Amino acid sequence: MDYNVLLNLGAELGCQLMESGAEIYRVEDSITRLMRAYGAENAQVFAIPNTLIVSVTPPDGHPITRLCRIPAHGIDLDHMELCNDLCRALCRETPTLEQAHDRLRQLLARRPRFSTAAILAGHGLVGAFFTPFFGGSLRDALFGGLCGLSIGLTTRFLNKLPGNNVFFRTLLSSALAAILALLFVRFGLAQHADAITIGSLMLLVPGVALTTAMREIVAGDIVSGMTHVTESILTATTIALGTGAALLAGQLL
Amino acid sequence: MNEWFFYWLLPCLYAFLACAGFCFIFNVHGPGILLCSLGGALGWLIYLLAEFLSPNIMLRFLLAATAITVYSEIMARVRHCPVTSYLIIALLPLVPGSGIYDAMRFCVAGDTQQFLSALLRTFGIAGCLAVGALLGSSLMRVVFSLSRRTNK
Repeated sequence: MDYNVLLNLGAELGCQLMESGAEIYRVEDSITRLMRAYGAENAQVFAIPNTLIVSVTPPDGHPITRLCRIPAHGIDLDHMELCNDLCRALCRETPTLEQAHDRLRQLLARRPRFSTAAILAGHGLVGAFFTPFFGGSLRDALFGGLCGLSIGLTTRFLNKLPGNNVFFRTLLSSALAAILALLFVRFGLAQHADAITIGSLMLLVPGVALTTAMREIVAGDIVSGMTHVTESILTATTIALGTGAALLAGQLL
Repeated sequence: MNEWFFYWLLPCLYAFLACAGFCFIFNVHGPGILLCSLGGALGWLIYLLAEFLSPNIMLRFLLAATAITVYSEIMARVRHCPVTSYLIIALLPLVPGSGIYDAMRFCVAGDTQQFLSALLRTFGIAGCLAVGALLGSSLMRVVFSLSRRTNK
């Protein structure tokens, strides 16, 4: 068996898992199992949020290692499930390495994704239903949906700019949503600026980073856990700064 | 009837639909959408029901987070997929977005006392969610390993 091909398979599947937002221990555990299933008993896998290192020592005693840098990524739960399924299937059936690579390539070729319109509608839906959830009226829900939509559009637009980062996006889109909410109330279209702002801010709130952080700390990956804790605190601070700026501007209106 | 509808059912329905919105953003397809959203609604229902047990907000958030984690772990075992797919979305209605906003509003208004108390409450709720999720997943790990041993 060619250990180079096996190493590439493990590293590529691991990269896909990381990029879809899987937790560190899931990536390390899945890839270690995969390597063991193919007979590489001494395989070592190490991951932190930006990096994945896979290393094996073939029987000839000459160790080989591959390091992948993981770019900033979003969350793609469907892709994570499919990669996880593939990894389980490969561990169970251990097809030849060529077949395994083919199956990975097939998986990457047909990644089901929602259209841009559907994702924007999702933003609108979240904003629209979190607004009455936090005490707005049904009329507020309509404008909460618009604010949610504005967050979706801002994030997508800023994503295309070079050199943008998650904190900058969060700052601008939270400020914009809060200003919109204040304006809607100002012009008598909506009633509760608080509910609309909170409802649309729920789109930016670092719930995912928080959930990931605590699961990783429980699993013993302290480094990754702390990274995600820091990320969620920074994101929360950025949201607060964005809304704070909007509230200050609102006082001047 | 009225109170039952507006106080119990409607917020859970809102949570359900908002979670469905998040399913589009996080790319969940098929029956997963229904299960994730049900998890969100269940969490909020537990939060509301826990009021009978204790008026303490922290305890209610803790119970709700535990319930959601247990639900997600069961669903993940039943459908053979990662726990995270359900947990991430179902926990979102509990995340203290209103706490961040309130804290900032008091800060801008110059009300330091209220600002600090809102800030501490936000951190407290986040901590409760963390502890609740920890509790739920540890609990399920014990339950599943016990049931595996008795099945042998």
